[in-house]
Amino acid sequence: MLSVLFESDCSEAAPFFGFMGVTAALVFANLGAAYGTAKSGVGIASMGVMNADAVMKNIIPVIMAGVLGIYGLIIAVILIQKVKSPYSAFSGYAHLAAGLCCGLSGLGAGLAIGIVGDSGVRANGQQPKLWVPMVLILIFAEAIGLYGLIIGIILSQKNEPC
Amino acid sequence: MTGIDPYSYASFGVAMSIGLSTIGAAWGILLTGSSLLGAAVKAPRISSKNLISIIFCEAVAIYGVIMSIILINKFSAGSPDSGTQAQRMFSGFSLFWAGLTVGLSNLFCGVCVGIVGSACALADAQKAELFVKILIVEIFGSALGLFGVIVGIIQSTDGRMP
Repeated sequence: MLSVLFESDCSEAAPFFGFMGVTAALVFANLGAAYGTAKSGVGIASMGVMNADAVMKNIIPVIMAGVLGIYGLIIAVILIQKVKSPYSAFSGYAHLAAGLCCGLSGLGAGLAIGIVGDSGVRANGQQPKLWVPMVLILIFAEAIGLYGLIIGIILSQKNEPC
Repeated sequence: MTGIDPYSYASFGVAMSIGLSTIGAAWGILLTGSSLLGAAVKAPRISSKNLISIIFCEAVAIYGVIMSIILINKFSAGSPDSGTQAQRMFSGFSLFWAGLTVGLSNLFCGVCVGIVGSACALADAQKAELFVKILIVEIFGSALGLFGVIVGIIQSTDGRMP
């Protein structure tokens, strides 16, 4: 690996890091989205037993968790267009950073959305006035994933031709 | 990184794509199935409708099978003597990370769908109208596996062994 660090152009091993960035973007974002969907889904099902009419309104956390998966998909597709056969080490590292930025931010955001969504829908089932505060908190959590997407897009534009 | 044979990378990717997908599907089925059977003791009417949750989990394994067949076709193209080492390494990395993308995405998707499916069965046993509403949450969850397959296919397009 050290020999890769000191080569400046057209490294054979550079695509390893480029593809790793693609995978990291999608897989970590999917993990966050899966956690958010599962945790809030269980909350919705439990709440629905007592208050079935509120279930459709409370699917909001699940939709926001799904959007995190879309962020990961966007960055993965952007990065894939840039990983081509003569590929410099600089591009490889930049694209790995882009993927990790988006993916790990999506993971954090998904954890937050899951836990807030779970307690939020259970509380909303008992007190209807809590819907707006729950959505406000979820929006702040979603913004964390958005920050990762923005920085990921900026990093993905970094390209050094071979 | 360059010291490891590219065919070794590629075959590990193929193994991960099918192995991790089936682990995710199996985990989801065990989560949903046990809840379904337990809830159906007092409410036997739920058992036929809720099999759809089990089918959603099985679909995750099918995604893994499809992707691994695609990856195997790319992996066994050409011969170890054709093309340059750089081309072989590029293909090896491409198939490795495509396999990991698909495998890990399907792992998380399978567990998510399993958890939500379990909640769906338990809620349906108490109130029949909740089944369709919680199924919407499950559909959001299974979209994550599709994201993995999409990115895996795009990642492996240039990964044909020379």
